[in-house]
Amino acid sequence: MSASQTTLGRGLEQQLELSIGCIPLRLHVSDAQIFSEAQKRYRAFGTAQAQPFSIYVQDFFSENGEKPEFAYEFEAQHASLRAFSAESEFTGAKNAYALDSLLRILLSWILLRHAGFLLHAATVVRNGRAYVFTGRSGAGKSTVAALSPAGSVWTDEISLLRREKGEWRAYGTPFWGEFRAAGSNSSAPVAGIFGLRQARENRVEALGPVGLLRNILPNVLFFSGDAAANQRLLEILGQAVKVIPGHNLAFRKDKTFWEALPS
Amino acid sequence: MSTTPNGPWQKNPALAWREIDNETVIISPTESVMHELNETGSFLWKNIDGQRTAAELAAMLAAEYEVTPSAALADTEALLQQLASSKLLVPAGTAPAGVPR
Repeated sequence: MSASQTTLGRGLEQQLELSIGCIPLRLHVSDAQIFSEAQKRYRAFGTAQAQPFSIYVQDFFSENGEKPEFAYEFEAQHASLRAFSAESEFTGAKNAYALDSLLRILLSWILLRHAGFLLHAATVVRNGRAYVFTGRSGAGKSTVAALSPAGSVWTDEISLLRREKGEWRAYGTPFWGEFRAAGSNSSAPVAGIFGLRQARENRVEALGPVGLLRNILPNVLFFSGDAAANQRLLEILGQAVKVIPGHNLAFRKDKTFWEALPS
Repeated sequence: MSTTPNGPWQKNPALAWREIDNETVIISPTESVMHELNETGSFLWKNIDGQRTAAELAAMLAAEYEVTPSAALADTEALLQQLASSKLLVPAGTAPAGVPR
């Protein structure tokens, strides 16, 4: 992770270079406290790369008259974002939680350009392949993570999936739930997506492409109401469910569920 | 262009849709429900273009599939009514309507 300081353009600010899902980002932060928290939170995701997408974390939006390509108001935190082709502005990000939320929202939109999407899911790596366990809150994402070997869990909350050179890969993210870990900036081919449900016995049921889409759609993070953006998202998801094996996984709360998974 | 309950209809431009495995899935940016159409529903959906009436769509359906003209018309009208009530279709030539949550 590299950090630097500049006085160009928008006042004294510090910069933080990030790479999440191999997408280069540059945070420009003027608030020292927020910068410090961001440095800690994203410490595993720092890689300086060429032409990063700039994110200006500031008090007010710039009055440049330019129409944003994507805008979102995060009402719970009184925080907002506006995104343009190569940069974004965040306002109201008074703490690391709000910054993190805006970053997820922005990433869900940027990923449209990279054939990817964010999914409420835990990603666990086993034998070099990523097992993606999806479900709403309480479905068992953190339970699955807790039952998996230390170091194999890349996130227990938000997974990032991207198609690269014809292959779907899952990335670790800094977006965590109960584990509160730093995350792992790594990627692996996706072994499958598993819709979670806690049960008394382990049971796996294969899903067809439409069944998998039906399963993951409520768990996809996406915040744009723009029809074209949603069409692009559906194209990406449609490509994903055609290739990635999908399953419903009823599992009991012990490590035996791994034995039920297809190898 | 005048519109009757049987059309012509157009797809709600606010929607996203695509074919997967001979089915059509339709999602709305304002709701979390995924609508699914089977093969014949997908055939009709693809041919809803803001011009064709229910009778014209039914004729295409009867020509494509082994179904009597009267059954094709009944099925087509029922599907159009269902799609329109879900705001997946809007009368041709009108502004797009939002899809209720």
